[in-house]
Amino acid sequence: MLINAVLYDGKSSKEHEVVIDFTPEKRVIIVSHEIDVPLSEVIFESRLGNTPRVLSFENGMRCKSRENDKLDQVLKEFGLSKSKAYKIESSLGLTLGSVMITIGFVWFMLTTGSTYTANALASVLPPSTLTEVSEVTMTQLEESYLKPSKLSDRQERIIQAHFNKLTEGELGYKLHFRSSPTMGANAFALPSGDIVLTDQLVALSQDNEFRDILGVLAHEKGHVVKKHSLRIAIKTGISGAIFGYITGDVSILASTIPTILINSSYSREFEHEADVYAVKELKKMKISTKYIATLFEVLEKKHGGEENATVMSMFASHPLTSERIDYFKSYID
Amino acid sequence: MDEHYKPFLFEGGGKEYFRIWIVNIALTILTLGIYSAWAKVRTNRYMYANTYLNGSNFEYNADPIRILIGRIIVVSVYILFVVFAEHLMMFEVAAGIAILALLALPWLIRQAVSFKLRNTSYRHVPFRYVGKTRDFYAFFLLHGLLNIFTLFLAFPFSYVRFKELILRNSRYGQGEFFFKGKVQTVYEIYFSVIGWMFLVLLAFVIVIAVISGFAMEGSMGVEEVLLSGMLEEESPSSEEAGTLITALASVFMVFIYLPLIFGQKGLSDAYFSNYVRNHTTLESAPFKGEINPFRLAWISISNVFIIMLSLGLLYPWTEIRYLKYKLEHTSFACEDYDQFESYGYEQGSTVGEEMVDFFDIDIGI
Repeated sequence: MLINAVLYDGKSSKEHEVVIDFTPEKRVIIVSHEIDVPLSEVIFESRLGNTPRVLSFENGMRCKSRENDKLDQVLKEFGLSKSKAYKIESSLGLTLGSVMITIGFVWFMLTTGSTYTANALASVLPPSTLTEVSEVTMTQLEESYLKPSKLSDRQERIIQAHFNKLTEGELGYKLHFRSSPTMGANAFALPSGDIVLTDQLVALSQDNEFRDILGVLAHEKGHVVKKHSLRIAIKTGISGAIFGYITGDVSILASTIPTILINSSYSREFEHEADVYAVKELKKMKISTKYIATLFEVLEKKHGGEENATVMSMFASHPLTSERIDYFKSYID
Repeated sequence: MDEHYKPFLFEGGGKEYFRIWIVNIALTILTLGIYSAWAKVRTNRYMYANTYLNGSNFEYNADPIRILIGRIIVVSVYILFVVFAEHLMMFEVAAGIAILALLALPWLIRQAVSFKLRNTSYRHVPFRYVGKTRDFYAFFLLHGLLNIFTLFLAFPFSYVRFKELILRNSRYGQGEFFFKGKVQTVYEIYFSVIGWMFLVLLAFVIVIAVISGFAMEGSMGVEEVLLSGMLEEESPSSEEAGTLITALASVFMVFIYLPLIFGQKGLSDAYFSNYVRNHTTLESAPFKGEINPFRLAWISISNVFIIMLSLGLLYPWTEIRYLKYKLEHTSFACEDYDQFESYGYEQGSTVGEEMVDFFDIDIGI
């Protein structure tokens, strides 16, 4: 079969129009340039869309031909297959398959995948890592937002007893009592297991025995157990990497958009997970969920009108929907 | 002379490239990243092979195996650094790695320049780079200090010197590139980019002030926004800013920040590309850049919105759109395309190239 091509001798930038003859004896002949070599000595570059195909000869010459379909036919007749990548790219089914794989992978990594990765990562990371990261954060918080607690001995003793029972037999958990006028009624957990409780939240307690505070502590412990901070970090990292890889140079998108996406849409999921955990723990300890439901109602009334009062507060940041209160109520026996 | 100018042509298409792109990503996922080296070669081959000048196209000749090796080295060093710095808390070791990397930087950047050129060929004659490593060390030492002491006011001057270092040492066959540009022009470019950005920002501020003028009372103050920003950064666990703040931030991002950043990117790219093209020759044959800065800014901004609205799926189309516009507004006037003699293909280290690639450093080639 005859194929039109341009020949470069590899010594200069001159172009020569040539006709390549592929003979049935599996030889490649270019009469004008005295080339007559076996097919096996010619390297065919894999096809890439409709770009001119490059044929390299052992003597350094190169031919380029735009007759891609004819060349594919030659290769087929000689029993040489098309390149694998081109096979996938030119098949509609396999291209669609690639779309599904990509979308599926991204979706998986942003949902359940991050849980697995977080667990795997947490088991690989030396335990000191989480502790040290948390220590740094704690120091920063102490400097800017936290003051020593003014709770009475009795209050501290009861709450501490609840906490000890909640974390019985588990290492690493520590409860910190602090006052924080800036953050207001709040409680939060660090990945190391340090849980901070503000006086302002204790002040809102409606139960003499602080069983509602125990519910909050169980919720915070849920964040630690479910490794939420690590999962957020991993999700941000993964989506950043995906954005970065897919969009190449659009690095600003890579660093900012995922953070916003994740912070806005995943917090609810994590709050719910922590709530589920809290309910489970409360049941185990045989304490009714009505106490925490009542506390949440108080908080909702308090924060209902002023959404932007204390931004960081766990309650203000994810407005207490009646759904969450109903969830706790549904477990009251 | 003028009738010799021939524009570059780009024949790649969004549909065709989409398939290559998505298959690249899927195979990269399935091979846990190993295929990424082949993906890079295939993407570059596609872009180069679809670029035509005077009826002939370009070629990308990099070897994926070598790219993979370079990639593994760069990623390993980076992981090593992260592990020492963030997980083992051995800051001395991490600092040691960082300092070594910094010391190697000029050498690596030269490698990256050389890699890009020697793996590009046109009519089976490869480009070459003959710049000396010590010139790169001299450049980065001198201009690093200069910019520190002048608070980067000397940056346009350094930019011109860097372009000289790159282009004057670039070869196509025996043909030598030459670049001579005025520093003053670069200052003018910076002033016009900053000026346009300032005007656009001013327009935004006025529009927002007018719109929100009535609703100002009782709404959130600036301090609260700032405070929440600070808190969020230090926030250890899942606590984050209120949904209101997030919504405001998203609106700000999408309608002000993104157009501003990407408009600026397109604008600068056009100005600088034209500047370099209009001051570069290959032997006596000149290049010409006729990219319209506002058109490129528009392409850049609209591309970002297209990418977001299509959840990334139209990215290949936007990439081609941008590249095609730039290439087809670049031309070259050569009287004899046959005169160039090949010095042969060379192999060399890929670490520099992969470093630049990994950290997304723009060396402007």
